[in-house]
Amino acid sequence: MTTVTVAGRELALSPRVAYRAARAEVARTPRALKAWYSLLLVVMAVGAVGAALTIAPGSEVFGTTPSFEWGILISAYVFFAITTSGLCLGSSLGTVFGIDMFLPFEKRHAILAILSLTTAFGIIALDLHYPIRMVFGAVFNPSVSSAMWWMGVFYGVYLVFLVVEIWSMFFGHDDIHRYACLASSCTAVLAPSTLGAVFGMVFAHTYWYGIFTPITMLVTALLAGTALLGIVFYVVVRLELAGFERGRRLAIPAVRILLTVALVGSLILLGRLVLDGLTSDKVAFHGATMAMINGPLALPFWVRLLGGLVIPLILISLPRTRTVTGTGVASALAFVGVLMDRLLFVSAGQIIPTTAVGGVVSQTYVDYMPSLVEISIVAAAFAFVAFVYTLAERYLDLREGDAHEPFHLPGFIGKPLARLTDRRAKPEPLEPGDQLTGGQA
Amino acid sequence: MNEPDDHEPLGRGPDDHEPDDQLGDARLSRRQVLGIGLVALPCLAGSVLVFDWLTKLTDTGATENTEPIVAGYDPATHRWGFVVNTNTCIGCGLCVVACKDENHVPEEAEYSRTWVERHTRTANGTIVVDSPEGGINGYEPDTAPVIVPAAAVTDVRFVPHLCMQCEDAPCISVCPVGATFHTPDGIVLIDQDRCIGCGYCIVACPYGARYIVPAGGNMPGGVPGVADKCTFCYHRITTGRRPACVEACPVGARAFGDLNDPSSSVSVILRDKPTMILQGALGTKPRVFYVGLEGEPTA
Repeated sequence: MTTVTVAGRELALSPRVAYRAARAEVARTPRALKAWYSLLLVVMAVGAVGAALTIAPGSEVFGTTPSFEWGILISAYVFFAITTSGLCLGSSLGTVFGIDMFLPFEKRHAILAILSLTTAFGIIALDLHYPIRMVFGAVFNPSVSSAMWWMGVFYGVYLVFLVVEIWSMFFGHDDIHRYACLASSCTAVLAPSTLGAVFGMVFAHTYWYGIFTPITMLVTALLAGTALLGIVFYVVVRLELAGFERGRRLAIPAVRILLTVALVGSLILLGRLVLDGLTSDKVAFHGATMAMINGPLALPFWVRLLGGLVIPLILISLPRTRTVTGTGVASALAFVGVLMDRLLFVSAGQIIPTTAVGGVVSQTYVDYMPSLVEISIVAAAFAFVAFVYTLAERYLDLREGDAHEPFHLPGFIGKPLARLTDRRAKPEPLEPGDQLTGGQA
Repeated sequence: MNEPDDHEPLGRGPDDHEPDDQLGDARLSRRQVLGIGLVALPCLAGSVLVFDWLTKLTDTGATENTEPIVAGYDPATHRWGFVVNTNTCIGCGLCVVACKDENHVPEEAEYSRTWVERHTRTANGTIVVDSPEGGINGYEPDTAPVIVPAAAVTDVRFVPHLCMQCEDAPCISVCPVGATFHTPDGIVLIDQDRCIGCGYCIVACPYGARYIVPAGGNMPGGVPGVADKCTFCYHRITTGRRPACVEACPVGARAFGDLNDPSSSVSVILRDKPTMILQGALGTKPRVFYVGLEGEPTA
């Protein structure tokens, strides 16, 4: 009988054996984990119904209008897409540059990144009326003047690099893995920048327009990706999952460093945006800024600013809260904060109605309320990532891999970097206890 | 995992080098050649057919179109232009009705190829802009938006809107699949068979002239889920007729004609009257010109 070995287990490729194995596995699964799976499956089922309603082109199941064309599905797409990039940006310090403290991110970031990216693609496919046509159109009729086309190219290539990265990582092709990590890390810079350009090149919406939009997208990508790693490693350490010792010793401090950089960067960029908006003579830009400070977007704006930026920064700055729990809470707050920021970003850009001739419009703000279909799809997207990642955490060997040799860089970069990395402690050999995954424990 | 020997070049093991005497075995027999041919030729033919089909599916040659879209019509000899005279417009809304009838545009105001805005100037110089139902029902004389006290009104002006058919159209440059394109006579059209319904052109249009066609009874072109907008009634102008809104206007507030023809109505107006374009600072170079908007900010 044909068998396949996964994480040291020999699995038979036979329906009957697989069914029996699945039943035994379900019986073995802890009750709390079953409840977690059930919750996620229910949310995904509701989202699947919502997704089915969007399939017919032109179906009006979203709360969007021509005045507010991009709703929360676009926000969610942007969020998952930049999270993918952020995951690779942070972990590239370990996988590409060989800095020890970032090495524990290696496998978990890759799993999360590919999940996040496929989720982003799923969401955008549901938002488009003709997604199949997009694939053929983008390949056979490329429009190089369109930032959206470039974004599609970079994220499409990114997915390929991530697949190769994961394949080489789990099947031990170390050389290929190093190249794949380098390629995906480079794409992790290009892709969110181009995604920012999709908005930043739209001069019809002055809130989005400008060079700072791609930069902001890149910094918030780092924030989102790091925050997600922070949440995951908090759970890993708390539940003592695979590699938790090195997670506690290296990953949590690494998350704190990256979070600090990303939070400070995000605060500076937000401050610049608000000041620019308040002093702008552009009706839409000034109006959108006022909508955030003291208008219909004020609640999410202030909650995001305080809860998603300031409080996390305080938590990881104060010695008393600079703990595993403090880092976990700060990461969770920052993660939700970036999600709110994406919602705010997409909303604020469209909240002032487009008027051909300046002046005061009788309707100050454009109304938009996401429909239940949109909400169910976004919720299902999060459930999907959580569900598949839980399976990965349980059944895959997520201890960091062996491909730790840094990529050979040109001397003028490589030598200073090597001196930097040599000063850091070498990773200690894994302890036997670290080898236990949740499923094997 | 098989680690390569340290002394061997990476990726090449000792077995990679074929001895020369084995080359004879590598020769193919006639039967093998025929077999390969029998498999390869249908695959090749199939690939060509699939490629051809995909090319037809996605490429209408629209971006670089030089072929006449309408038989007997030579687009290269025309350069269409449009003039809206706000001094003349009475805000009756007949143009909106005519447009929706002619092009099967959905009835809801948010889906409009053309609409009429009311610009109410108040004593303190503020201009209040509104457009209830896109102006399709017409504006009652001597009325003002509800938020403006009647006593404060100093002037009311009706400003019809439509696609500006920009020379440097942002909707064209942002489209990721080239579904929006220029015709040689300067009209911005949408290839409904190529549009993916992403909404990027709608977001990018600074004039709010586009929308996604909702599924339902009225669908311009009969295709739901694609972008739509004013085409200057391309199906009419290419057969010698004027756009439906121009014909419907009872006071001649809309003029349409060939900018290449110095005697056309639009050329005469552009020569004789001061005109302006909307949001000129954006550099989109609209082909719709306005008379009577002096003193209004153009954002």
